[in-house]
Amino acid sequence: MKTELTISTEPIDEAALAKRRAMDDGMGAVVCFLGVVRESEGDDAITAIDYEAFEPMARRQFELLFDELSQSWPVESVRLVHRIGIVPVNEPSLWVEVVAPHRAEAFDACQFLIDEMKQKVPIWKKPLPA
Amino acid sequence: MKFWSYFRDHAGCPETVIEIENGATLAKLHEAVCEQFPKLCGSKNSTLKAVGLEYEDDEFILSDGDEVSFFPPVQGG
Repeated sequence: MKTELTISTEPIDEAALAKRRAMDDGMGAVVCFLGVVRESEGDDAITAIDYEAFEPMARRQFELLFDELSQSWPVESVRLVHRIGIVPVNEPSLWVEVVAPHRAEAFDACQFLIDEMKQKVPIWKKPLPA
Repeated sequence: MKFWSYFRDHAGCPETVIEIENGATLAKLHEAVCEQFPKLCGSKNSTLKAVGLEYEDDEFILSDGDEVSFFPPVQGG
């Protein structure tokens, strides 16, 4: 399985990521997920979220999740971008793409990856009040 | 030792060196950390612990020079 992981303070450029998509002719499903910063955190209005990562460990934990994913689903490739630093409201903090032969495994693998990330990958958020 | 997220604020520093006896476990280190940084005691049950880049549990036996990180539950995405 091909993997590509980016952890960066740069804004996520969906168009550029889509343009670089490479798929084998046998692949029939691409699932893309975009996580976007909401205008509120609980009952409080916010302007942005400041994301912090323990980056070497985050990379290691993502790699372990990619390995686990590849053993459970016939996925051709996974690309994941997590923006860190200050991410304003209405801008994406997370972009995930899973390419697989069929939609069921692509959706399931994408859901697994995001669920597990939220349990294991050392990234934290600090909401910045409005 | 390194502290991440709001644990860094509770400790008042991003990292420190703690000396404990040979063969001590992560649980023993956690007790020493709580004594030195009492504000971290409130989060004792929810503290996640890593040695190097791997999660480890309280029974993990530490070696000289291990780099240990304590941090709160993660919140990526």
